[in-house]
Amino acid sequence: MTMIELRNVHKRFDELEVLKGIDLTVEKGEVVIIIGASGSGKSTMLRVINNLEPIQAGEVWVKGIPVHDPKRADEVHRCVGMVFQQFNLFPHLTALANVTLALQKVKKIDAEDARRRGLAALERVGLEDKPESYPSELSGGQQQRVAIARALAMEPDVMLFDEATSALDPELVGEVTGVMRQLAQEGMTMLVVTHEMGFARDVGDRVVFIDEGQIAEQGPPAVLFTSPSNPRTQQFLYRVLNR
Amino acid sequence: MGWQGIFDSSGILFTGFVSTLLLSIASIATGTALGLVVGLLRTARVPALRVPLRVYLEVFRGSPLLVQMLFIYFGAAYLGLRAVETFTAALIALTLYEGALISEIIRAGIEAVPRGQREAARSLGLSRIQIERHVILPQTVPIVLPPLVGQYIGLVKDTALATSIGYFELVREGQAIIDRIGMPIEVFMVVAVIYFVICYPMSLVARRLEMRALHA
Repeated sequence: MTMIELRNVHKRFDELEVLKGIDLTVEKGEVVIIIGASGSGKSTMLRVINNLEPIQAGEVWVKGIPVHDPKRADEVHRCVGMVFQQFNLFPHLTALANVTLALQKVKKIDAEDARRRGLAALERVGLEDKPESYPSELSGGQQQRVAIARALAMEPDVMLFDEATSALDPELVGEVTGVMRQLAQEGMTMLVVTHEMGFARDVGDRVVFIDEGQIAEQGPPAVLFTSPSNPRTQQFLYRVLNR
Repeated sequence: MGWQGIFDSSGILFTGFVSTLLLSIASIATGTALGLVVGLLRTARVPALRVPLRVYLEVFRGSPLLVQMLFIYFGAAYLGLRAVETFTAALIALTLYEGALISEIIRAGIEAVPRGQREAARSLGLSRIQIERHVILPQTVPIVLPPLVGQYIGLVKDTALATSIGYFELVREGQAIIDRIGMPIEVFMVVAVIYFVICYPMSLVARRLEMRALHA
């Protein structure tokens, strides 16, 4: 079953064209890793899928919802969860309240049930002992795990990860990728923009290389990482793997 | 005579104090409500409201409150509207004027909240109103509180302008005492102290709220 479909998507910021005709299909349960240089458009593509950026041409379908149609675009938030580079936790709310806010306000679940679900979500990311902590009292890795729990609690069909580990100290990356691995094993459909090539190789079903707003090459990680056919891919991989 | 005369007039001063306090509290409430609505609408970037709100802001921010008060009080009479009471005219003028200034404080506070907060909230499916109510405004409070209280303190002193349309507030009552017993220096000193007594606790309350918001 097709979960996400992008057809000839064009996105520009004023004069600068960031996405130059993207076609991409993601099946249910697939883990797609998106790699590319900074400014290549990979984050923009995720943001387009999640209705955070309007597009100028093309179509974006998520589970049958036309995200390119402004009248219906907001429906996408019912089935897509997103995790951001800067966590974007609500600083005035505790970890648990971050997770339960949308359960109560969007899903209209009563406080007690929301609390139960919130604690379960925190347990999934290994933070069942921190429900009353404020974001400022948590490490970066813990904050990002709360952000994942917050998205998971809404029971999304797709999870988008926009450089979820890029803002973390190196020793904290593992705890976040660990949660993401577990999620992939459970069969979650995932789109992951990352620079963690080890994670990409282990967890990805498919790797998509984006170059200057276009998909330059895609394929299984075993193929793309060992014998890329596009010279641009070769160049990019050579640079990131030989840092 | 001497200070005894002022002491004998304390009842009149108290009436003035109450009038000033009433007008201040009423216009803080209405001015904040108006400022909040205008500030929210301006940050929401509703195309149809962009120009009207900007015109409102510039007109009321860019002209003297005294002129606005006279305009509303005498303008209403000139236009043949039912005579507006001095309190009402002063309240309307203060609301429009302070509302314009407060809307800018609110707007600056809302825009100081990182964009990612709104994006995370949208991703969770919260509606626009829910995002403002539960995510943005709570974070705006500690940012806007200090300038907002500064504005309120200014507002209390601005109520003195209502004396120009004949509203019997503190300055006007003080003037009445001077007309009877003289001693302008002493009387105005007492009037100034009474303004200070209203304003200083506001500074203290603001500081307390600010600390609490920071530690929440």
